[in-house]
Amino acid sequence: MTYLLMGYSVIFALIAGYMMILGKRQKQIEKEIKQLEEWNQEI
Amino acid sequence: MITILTDALTIAAKDLRNEFKTKQTFSMMAIFAVLVILVFSFAFDPTNNAVKAVIPGLVWVITIFAGILGLNRSFTSELENDCLTGLRSGPIDATSIYLGKVLANFTIVTLVQIISIPVLFILFNYRFTGSYFWFILILFAGTLGFIIVGTFLSALSANAKNSEMLLPVLLLPLLSPLMIAAVQAMRAALENENLENAVSWLQLMSAYDLLFFAACLLLFEFIMEGS
Amino acid sequence: MIKINNSGPIDRVLFYILVPAFLINLYLIFVWSPVEKVMGDVQKIFYFHVGSAWVAFLAFCVVGFYSVLTLIKPKMERFIYAGISAEIGVLFTTLALLTGMIWGRASWNTWWTWEPRLITTLILWFIYVAYLFVRKMEGSWEKIAKLSSVFGIIGVINVPIVFMATRWWNTKLHPVVFGEGKDQTGGGMEPEMLATMFFSIFTITVLYVFLLRKGAQIEKMREVIKKAKTNIINKIAS
Repeated sequence: MTYLLMGYSVIFALIAGYMMILGKRQKQIEKEIKQLEEWNQEI
Repeated sequence: MITILTDALTIAAKDLRNEFKTKQTFSMMAIFAVLVILVFSFAFDPTNNAVKAVIPGLVWVITIFAGILGLNRSFTSELENDCLTGLRSGPIDATSIYLGKVLANFTIVTLVQIISIPVLFILFNYRFTGSYFWFILILFAGTLGFIIVGTFLSALSANAKNSEMLLPVLLLPLLSPLMIAAVQAMRAALENENLENAVSWLQLMSAYDLLFFAACLLLFEFIMEGS
Repeated sequence: MIKINNSGPIDRVLFYILVPAFLINLYLIFVWSPVEKVMGDVQKIFYFHVGSAWVAFLAFCVVGFYSVLTLIKPKMERFIYAGISAEIGVLFTTLALLTGMIWGRASWNTWWTWEPRLITTLILWFIYVAYLFVRKMEGSWEKIAKLSSVFGIIGVINVPIVFMATRWWNTKLHPVVFGEGKDQTGGGMEPEMLATMFFSIFTITVLYVFLLRKGAQIEKMREVIKKAKTNIINKIAS
């Protein structure tokens, strides 16, 4: 039973981890888009 | 076809002449191979009789470790003074560059083996009882496969700044099937027990050699274009 | 100026399939499917294990496919898909390895056995990581696209040979200890288990496709932004 728990916590932790990495990249991109729009307005 | 071969020979001769003038890479590789043997003799007590079992593996470990040292230099040395650009812009096929490099590397690694394997046998007190013919054939097939893939990946990793670190990381996983076959075949040949076993492993090795030779020959052009 | 959320209808459909499928899958695994008599509850790791291993190999085939396409005609999109597929491949190969190890520990009391499928998966993991290292090289993307595609193709050729060599190695050296193979699916599986297994394979494949599309969109956006940035910088400069 403990092994089962261990197995599934590893599975979900890793999948969630990868999704978090993707989310981080997305946020970074949104930040850059905002910056770009600011620059665009300045011109 | 014949021009490709003669060009390849020219390039191999250039590399080898260069090498024999300085003997830098070769002597480093040989010394390194012997050092690896020394380290292994600390790790496995050579007076122990059971150490015979690791000899087939050690032959390949020293070949690969010393070989990677030489392969690292194979293309990065061409980067000085933009020699690689010169080679590429010359009227030669990319495949002949690859073939020439394979030939040169194979010769150097074989020479290193000629020194290091007897040293290994002497330092580990190993009495050779197997058949020389099969031993040399297996050594040839294994080293050839190693050089075929190694030269290709050396050209690939020469594009990176940290090529010395990149090459082993790329090379070793690709070599794993060849090494499994080579060690098993070598064991069968050295212990002289089941030659049929050695032959079937040898078949796998030759299939690997042929397959990767064809693939590398086809794909080498893209590496030259890319770098 | 630039659309942030460019996920199309396909992604929405995928998402609406994925969430219920995942929940149903969990229900099937933990409640519906029968408990294995010999191994007990631990056997339930098997469903995700098989799914991850399948996606690991599928992702690698996708890397090979896009590598060939990139060599035929280099396009940013193909290059991006190969890269994201490799990333997700690392994720699922790691999952397959870890779950396999945990399961092995639970049922045979060893973390690791030198079993062909396990070795092949481990070497697959190393090839994936090496592929990602090649992509981390500095230089123009065209150059990296060519080099990484070449390595991807060589890696794909290697995987079946590794499997053949390791299987041969094992059968010649050791008697096969654990029945047919590691997952012991040979015949003795109840229909509910089989159904659950196929459903988890389906769910994880959908998850893979979803992540692949999401990751590729993000990378594509990054490229668009890079271009826009250079545009603006040029404007300011002029």
